[in-house]
Amino acid sequence: MAELLLEVGIALTAVALAGALANRVGLSVIPAYIVVGILVGPNPPSSVLGVSLNLVSDSEFIQVLAELGIVFLLFFLGLEFSVDQLLRDRGRISAAGGVDFAVNFGLGVAIGLLFGWTLLETLFLAGVVYISSSAVITKSLIEEGWIANDESGPILGTLVFEDILIAVYLAILSAVAGGGDLESAAISVGTAFLFLGGLTAIAWYGSGWLDRFFRTSSDELFILRIVGVTTLVAGAALALGVSEAVAAFFLGTGISQTAHVERIEHIVAPARDIFAAVFFFSIGLTTDVTLIAGVAVLLAVAVVATTVGKFLSGTFSGRFYGLDRRRSLRVGLGLVPRGEFSLVIATLAAGIGTGRLASVLPAFTVGYVLVMSVLGSILIQQADTITDVLGPSSG
Amino acid sequence: MTVYETDVPGVGKKFEVEIGSDERLVVLLHHDGKREVFHKPDPDADAERLVTLSGQLAREVGAILQGAYFQPVETDEVEVPLGEAVIEWLDVGQESDLAGQTLGEANLRQRTGVSVIAIQRGSDTVPNPGPGETITAGDILVTLGTREELAEFEALVESDDS
Repeated sequence: MAELLLEVGIALTAVALAGALANRVGLSVIPAYIVVGILVGPNPPSSVLGVSLNLVSDSEFIQVLAELGIVFLLFFLGLEFSVDQLLRDRGRISAAGGVDFAVNFGLGVAIGLLFGWTLLETLFLAGVVYISSSAVITKSLIEEGWIANDESGPILGTLVFEDILIAVYLAILSAVAGGGDLESAAISVGTAFLFLGGLTAIAWYGSGWLDRFFRTSSDELFILRIVGVTTLVAGAALALGVSEAVAAFFLGTGISQTAHVERIEHIVAPARDIFAAVFFFSIGLTTDVTLIAGVAVLLAVAVVATTVGKFLSGTFSGRFYGLDRRRSLRVGLGLVPRGEFSLVIATLAAGIGTGRLASVLPAFTVGYVLVMSVLGSILIQQADTITDVLGPSSG
Repeated sequence: MTVYETDVPGVGKKFEVEIGSDERLVVLLHHDGKREVFHKPDPDADAERLVTLSGQLAREVGAILQGAYFQPVETDEVEVPLGEAVIEWLDVGQESDLAGQTLGEANLRQRTGVSVIAIQRGSDTVPNPGPGETITAGDILVTLGTREELAEFEALVESDDS
């Protein structure tokens, strides 16, 4: 017990230090958590100047915390998913989101096929390079003050579209990838839709009951109920072969219909932050940097192609929203960061797939997210310089 | 004035307030209570961050803007212009035996030391009532006296013949 407690202590302290450092230099915390995980984890570099850096092993306890990180990231995504906003602005959001999907998912498919990956592997790769990082992007939007400008409209609209799409994508892909032949795949897709349909029905028609169930004056009892129910639903989903992440997303959207959203944001968000930080850290723990070196060519191609892809599709969305040239370019730059959801997809792939899905794709994704989260933040910070270089600003 | 409200996932709510023909104030409400206020002089300009406030500070600034801000006063340091005396409002109930008596008959000042400085009767106020003024059930007596005197007075008003 002493050894495990010490390891977890080292892990959490390392994450805290990495977060503080990233915050100091004005970068996203996600790549910092991953890097520190690589440093103190069992994979190389395993020592520096003769001092062992093999401090934290990939223990089952850390894995469970990381799993809770995935569950709560998706739970909050569902909780904050604004159905009203999507319906109110559905025309523009589906146009911007549709172009975003066609260009960037399409690019991912093209890259996968170009490198000779199978269809399933290619679909996972496309998901990884398609989905932008809500966490990195909203943080940058606030820091740069863009949140108060018109460019926030298409950026947030595209993110909303990506949220719903990634839920459907994860549901289908995890079901398909789990089964071998067509029949078992059909059964697992059927199970997924039954489970998620049941969850949606409970959330939709039982929102009064849910509301009463979570009503308590004690913050302690409240967080216990939310964390308990969410983990139970996610666990039950996984036991049935349904994606736990998608189940958590649906549960989140269900609870977003109750009056408890504000309180969850206040009381449960800190728990989410701890679990999510451990999730990013554990990604680092399991990453072998030598594997990343092995996919350098693929990584370089993907970084260049998908940066340009997001930039162009985002700029188009900005134009579609009626923004001027400078703001449209900002939309393009603003959507470049990739992060937490790419890692969730890669973890899913590693969990259920074999061969390339279990080794190459996770390594690629870690390298890709490290580059794209940092590159994306820098592009946003330097947006004015970039738009000036691209030509004189006009109305 | 038009206010546009948008959800910002993972952050909170954004309010855009039209404050001039083209001018807008943008308020970002974070889930953790933090508020950020931006100013946009015209639609083409970039928003400029004016201020970032904690929840508590934001509420106080809001109260000042609303004209509803009162500096809380230390009660120990308040100088009471009436000395020991306080002013109290007392209801005359249906059962009170004061009802029907004139102020002179009730002889309240002699018995308790309390002065009746006004009577509120429905929407009317009888200021500085004379000894001939009849107290009726439902009146509200505006009284002046020390706390002890008023306690005694209150007992008298509430008492009935039974």
